[in-house]
Amino acid sequence: MSDENMLFATEEQQESYNKEQEVEEVATRKYLTFRTDNLLFGIEAEIVMEIITNYSATYVPMVPSYVRGIINLRGQIIPLLDMRQKLSIEPMDTDCIIVIDVEDVRIGILVDAVSQIIDIPIDSILSVPQHNAQKYVSGMCTMPDNSGTMLVLDCPLLLAN
Amino acid sequence: MANNGDSVLEMYLYETNSLLEQLDDIMLAAEQADTFSQEDVNEIFRIMHTLKGSAAMMEFEPLMTLAHRIEDLFYLIRERTMSVIPEDDKPKLFNLLFKFIDYFRAQVENIESGKPLSNDIDNFVSIINTVIDKINGVDTKKDENTQESTSAPQSSAVSGYPYTLNIYLDEGCGMENLRAFMIVNDIRQCCSDFVTEPEDIDDSAVAPSIAKDGFKLHFSTITDRENAVKIVETLGFVKNFEEVDNVDATEQNDSSDKVESQPEVKKEEEKKVVQETVQKAPAPAPAPTSKPKAQPAKENSTPQGHQIKQSLISVNLSKLDQLMAVVGEIVITEAMVTASPDLKGLEGVKLDNFNKSARQLRKLTDELQDISMSLRMVPVSGTFQKMRRIVRDMGQKLGKRARLTIVGEDTEIDKTIVDAIGDPIMHIVRNSMDHGIETDESMRIAAGKNPEGEIILSAQNTGSEVIIKIEDDGTGVDTDAVLAKAIRQGIANPDVEYSKREILNFLMMPGFSTNTEVTEFSGRGVGMDVVKKNVEAVSGVVIMTSEFGKGSCTTLKIPLTTAIMDGMEVAVGESIFTIPIQNIRQSFKATDEDIIHDAMKGEMICKMDNFYPVLRLHERYGLTPRAEKTEDGIFVWVETSEDSYCLFVDELLGEQQVVIKPLPSYLNTFGIKESGIVGCTILGDGNISLILDVSNLISSDSGYSMF
Repeated sequence: MSDENMLFATEEQQESYNKEQEVEEVATRKYLTFRTDNLLFGIEAEIVMEIITNYSATYVPMVPSYVRGIINLRGQIIPLLDMRQKLSIEPMDTDCIIVIDVEDVRIGILVDAVSQIIDIPIDSILSVPQHNAQKYVSGMCTMPDNSGTMLVLDCPLLLAN
Repeated sequence: MANNGDSVLEMYLYETNSLLEQLDDIMLAAEQADTFSQEDVNEIFRIMHTLKGSAAMMEFEPLMTLAHRIEDLFYLIRERTMSVIPEDDKPKLFNLLFKFIDYFRAQVENIESGKPLSNDIDNFVSIINTVIDKINGVDTKKDENTQESTSAPQSSAVSGYPYTLNIYLDEGCGMENLRAFMIVNDIRQCCSDFVTEPEDIDDSAVAPSIAKDGFKLHFSTITDRENAVKIVETLGFVKNFEEVDNVDATEQNDSSDKVESQPEVKKEEEKKVVQETVQKAPAPAPAPTSKPKAQPAKENSTPQGHQIKQSLISVNLSKLDQLMAVVGEIVITEAMVTASPDLKGLEGVKLDNFNKSARQLRKLTDELQDISMSLRMVPVSGTFQKMRRIVRDMGQKLGKRARLTIVGEDTEIDKTIVDAIGDPIMHIVRNSMDHGIETDESMRIAAGKNPEGEIILSAQNTGSEVIIKIEDDGTGVDTDAVLAKAIRQGIANPDVEYSKREILNFLMMPGFSTNTEVTEFSGRGVGMDVVKKNVEAVSGVVIMTSEFGKGSCTTLKIPLTTAIMDGMEVAVGESIFTIPIQNIRQSFKATDEDIIHDAMKGEMICKMDNFYPVLRLHERYGLTPRAEKTEDGIFVWVETSEDSYCLFVDELLGEQQVVIKPLPSYLNTFGIKESGIVGCTILGDGNISLILDVSNLISSDSGYSMF
């Protein structure tokens, strides 16, 4: 019986400990922010695999223009999406690629520049006003240092055709 | 029904299936010869025994009983040769065994799909019993002799000591009499009331007989024997032992199997049979037609003595896929190392050793690749042999005489393809039997054909594709009737004139069947379209040809699934494309004068007295070519089994071995496969080249559609 009590006590302790942890984890989420044109976007850091530069894409015919082609990332073939063209912004020569993994689909996103990784309190992410809903944006929030407004990129929506 | 874990069940299913297959082969050969050779009988006996043993282990009661009865039957045949079966009964015996195989297969399928086994075997058992009784009736006198000489179960009972323990020693352990004596001494330590057989067990004269047939201990009480068993179990050189009760049959009758009329004697016989197989089972030569197969370790309830040791193992297919993937990576990496751009800066530097090693590496990677590919290859013979059975069964049912000729059954093709073509081939063979071969032999004779129909099943590996042909010399396809029916079904347009080939293609439309009646085998209109679908699933094509009155031929062409292939790198503008070498017929230069224009603004070129369409790759894909004039670029004459045309590109970059990588699934949502790009590959310098699918490239381009 004493054994059980001990076990119980430990579990309880653990639980309360876990709860403390959870409260902290739930409160904020890490985002990677990047710029495309004059827009500041944020992607959940969890799905970002890596950030690469200096990769030349191989042109693939018969696909929409926002698909820049495919790149060879250490033997893996990954399609490359041009963020500017996807948002119907004038294309520009950039070479900063964010590789993300959305539901086991790996894809590279060509952006202007990557800014930083930042913890955002989940509560501060607000939904997009209905009548001026941006394409592929699931929410927005003011940056903690008031440097601007981050648009949260809806990656599954980005990949859906 | 207790399933002792999935892996055991899997093993059981695998083993049973391969045994049934083997049995099928033997039966077909035997039926052809109209008798069983002694070797066949031994083999069937062995198979039945194993089937029985493993069914018992898995507790599949009906299967065990049935296999047991057949085993009994073949035991009799084995002892007294085929002559015990009267000539008239032979077909019955063959049919009985075929039925048995079918029943067993059906049951195994039930097990596979998790359905309960049917217990309806009484009918079967009674037929088998009739046969056994008949044999016994025919030859009772001989029966007695055999009983006495071979087993003599009655004689083994020593009065007063009804509990017998038969002990068999390891083969070739030597000094059998002394070892037996040691055992007897050991046992004496715990119980003394028993007799041995032979009595003077330590006499060296009995050593050979102990080595051959073991020796027996007769106990007066069952507890004594149990104690003895405990001792015997611990001894290393004892191969096998069995407990036999010679108590009066009536005493234990109630506990025994109801199917058996004389349970005790049967048990006796079974025991003896166990011994028989363990001791005598000659390493059976695999049936000549059966393909070499990995025999899993036997997990029978009865300990198996000397199974044929085959140096084969079964490997999970996914592991082979992984191996292929790694080998693919190695091939790419090898190309990256030997063609490294860094080496270009070293011009003038002596690289002899490097080059030598690079050549050696190339040789080894080639070898590695060949071996890893060959691992996935299996001969088609297994699939082909199954068709013999179908031809036989259908021939009997439909009253048609036909023989199946198999050509090139040793052809090895990828396992996934073998699995995919099994059903299509079966459909086509059935079609040939049902619709092809004439019902009336006099019709065949009148047409000047051999009264016996012939179906030729052939396989051929051309290096780039596997060609499987199913030919029959039957009536062929009545194209007028097919067209009439196609029009009736609304598939064909009555105002259009169709070519013969187009009409035959109607046969492959879903729901199309020319047979007016639905038979057991075909006529439901599912058939050729399923064939087409299955074959297309492995990116193959089905081609039908037929001559009315003379027969028809169905050809399946399936590309070899090679993850690694030889390709020709071609450049168009900034892009590099790979054309599979096997599709390239020729490359040539041409000028504007050679090109002929048609009314649709299409271009053609004349090669070898034939006109071929021209496809300019840059126009097709909207690229900016470097070769603006026709004479600057080069034409690559490509062909597949269906199309042949000339592809215009900027330049040829050279031949290279490439590893096919699938395109990212994201790109497939844009239908890129239909536009002629089948995959991509990484070149030595890390760049990506797109692999062209020559047949899709032109068929997707509406202007050049062949039909």
